[in-house]
Amino acid sequence: MNKVTTSTLIIFVLIAGWVFYLTNIKKDDSLTVRYYSISELAKESNDIRKIKVGGYIKPNSINVSEEDQLEVSFFVYQNSDSVKVTYYGIRPDLFKDDAEVVVSGSYANNLISATELQTKCASRYEGDLKNIEKI
Amino acid sequence: MISQIGSIAISLAGGLISSSFIFLGLFKKFNNQTYLQVAERSILATSYCIFLSFFCLLNELLISNFNLQYVAQYTSYETPVFFKVTALWAGQAGSLLFWSFITALFAVSYIFTTLKKLKALKFHSYVILSFIFSFFIVLSNFIANPFEPVSSDIVVQNGNGLNPLLQNFFMAIHPPILYVGFTGSAIIFIMALAASISKDISFEWVQSIRRWSLFVWTFLSAGIILGGYWAYNELGWGGYWAWDPVENSSLMPWLTLTAFIHSSMIQEKRGMLKKWNFLLATSTYILVILGTFITRSGVISSVHSFTAENLGPMFFTFLAILILYTIFWFFKRKSYLDTPDKIDSFTSREGGFLYNNLVLILMCFTIMWGTLFPILSEAWDGNKIYVGASYFNQLNIPIGLVLLFLMGIGPLLSWNYTSQSILLNRFKLPFSVSFLSGIGYLIFSNSFQIYVFVAIIGVSFTLSSILGEFYKSYKKQKNSSNFLHSIVKMLLSNRHKNGGYIVHIGIVLLFIGFIGRAFEVEKEFSLSPGEQIYFSNYVFKLNSIKSEARDNHYAFLSEIDVVDSSTNQLLVNLKPEKRIYFYWNSDPEKRQPHSELDIYSTIQKDIYSIFSGYDAQKNIGYFKIMINPLVNWVWIGGVLMVIGSLFAFWPSRRNS
Repeated sequence: MNKVTTSTLIIFVLIAGWVFYLTNIKKDDSLTVRYYSISELAKESNDIRKIKVGGYIKPNSINVSEEDQLEVSFFVYQNSDSVKVTYYGIRPDLFKDDAEVVVSGSYANNLISATELQTKCASRYEGDLKNIEKI
Repeated sequence: MISQIGSIAISLAGGLISSSFIFLGLFKKFNNQTYLQVAERSILATSYCIFLSFFCLLNELLISNFNLQYVAQYTSYETPVFFKVTALWAGQAGSLLFWSFITALFAVSYIFTTLKKLKALKFHSYVILSFIFSFFIVLSNFIANPFEPVSSDIVVQNGNGLNPLLQNFFMAIHPPILYVGFTGSAIIFIMALAASISKDISFEWVQSIRRWSLFVWTFLSAGIILGGYWAYNELGWGGYWAWDPVENSSLMPWLTLTAFIHSSMIQEKRGMLKKWNFLLATSTYILVILGTFITRSGVISSVHSFTAENLGPMFFTFLAILILYTIFWFFKRKSYLDTPDKIDSFTSREGGFLYNNLVLILMCFTIMWGTLFPILSEAWDGNKIYVGASYFNQLNIPIGLVLLFLMGIGPLLSWNYTSQSILLNRFKLPFSVSFLSGIGYLIFSNSFQIYVFVAIIGVSFTLSSILGEFYKSYKKQKNSSNFLHSIVKMLLSNRHKNGGYIVHIGIVLLFIGFIGRAFEVEKEFSLSPGEQIYFSNYVFKLNSIKSEARDNHYAFLSEIDVVDSSTNQLLVNLKPEKRIYFYWNSDPEKRQPHSELDIYSTIQKDIYSIFSGYDAQKNIGYFKIMINPLVNWVWIGGVLMVIGSLFAFWPSRRNS
């Protein structure tokens, strides 16, 4: 085998390896995270290292710590199921009762310790015209 | 009246483009040049109709004709004139017409410049061009018509106005610049296909397609960098790149186009790699359309995305046709595109370009895989799997570092073959410089990070390799005593090559900025006026929070003293604001909070402050501070990339 063929071969093996690796990223939770629904999670008794969950903030469940304004706990609900979430950090602008949120973090003992908290904002600029008069 | 003209013009464009198809068909059947000419004129007339309807929409936006749904939705009487203009591409319907407008500009210049010289490409160029046009004209006529009137039972007293987040200069200008890059890649697509189908790949063709590629590349790069600049300065999450699907969609075609610019050089010099180049040139536009499909169909949610209308299936069909058409002709012309010449050695300039190509494509594929993975996995077994920034960072950092080294190795290689002794001789300088900087890192840094270590070696290796090349050509040119004169003369001696090197230096500077990300630190905290907090060698003291009603928003103004704790001196006074737009609206859902940042920016680091929220009852402000080292190098590098590619682009036009 001459040098060119050997190099080509090495390159192909490397690429094949890389592609094989990419098809298996699902198992590597440092790269990916699975999305759970609240009802799915409510049935889940095992701990999960990394999750992402979407739902709505249960009214009157937001509890901000007196000692540290950045410490908060609340429940996220979907239909009749709900899960408790704790979070440390600044809350997004639209964080309030019934706001739609996406929470990422870990799940243990029926509690989500969130590392990331996002509110979904309703797009204000698409859709209805505001200053109109009916005729 | 004007809006009717615009509406008629866009329908007329539809008629004209159909007539172009008819005459192309007649030409194919009877082979009479007159038919081809009529088809050409139909395409030109289509373009002029699109221009007309574009200017009609512009006019309606400027005079605030709120009888049009689009105008009422994106502007108001209060919107400044500049943003009335930029509202052209703020929404779905307008941006699609804008897309057609740029396509038309490209079509006209392609017909009048390139096709004047490469006559053999005319027929197939017109076929593909007409197809692309008809797709966008159908969208503008039937799916998202910007001239759609508001429903007849209402009178609009004032429009909604442009989203305040979008009322930023860089936000306003980065989409059109990106669009120029996106639509311009259609010309590259057309040229690659037309030349292969008509079996007319000539030297002039290679030169011409390379010129187009450089032009398109410049705009793509500028658009991507400006988008990052806007995100960093306006969006307030402290970064310029988040691996959002929309960002990925602009990066993927950039990568394939970058690969094409390099590998087409091999075709220009040695007539090789025709098949590979065909694939790169066509996939760039295909990736543009894939990206548009991803972002406009709503299949992947993203902060940037427009609300989904029925565009998804349309774009999907368009995309599928483009792909099938390309694949069909690729296999049909496989033997024509075959080149007998093979690469002799991998330690040659061609070999270097090939490695560069493989790495770029691998990166593109990795990004595409990550972007599409959520859809693919949900389709596969119903599980929604999110691919976060960690995927893109972890996988692309090593690939990027390989690329960084390749940029340094490339210039050291000769065409055809580089002998070992020459290679060793040329490696001396970059090798010793990078060796020393690696040692320097080990001695002076107090923590070891492998990627930072490799990146520092890579940056110094590549920088010294390129500067060494510059010095060599400088020595050859040096005859006058004036230093500056010799430098300019050296740069002008081979603009193509030197322009490329300038781009590479720009990319190396980007990498310096990327290294900074490894050292970013941030802290979130709450403070009442008068309190202070220590973080990362600085003391942040909140002096006051005041409030103020302004023209279109209500603002809470904070004032933070930043004291350097090692010297105990006041460094800067930061004034981030918390704003509430539409605060007068009785419906709290319609009010829009926004954090206006304040950044203390130096060449070493940025102190980035965000006023995230204010609790008026307790008089507590919530803040986030980030210390972002070396960010400015990203912008400097970006500017240099654009300058370098313009430098390479301009002269080649004059030479021809």
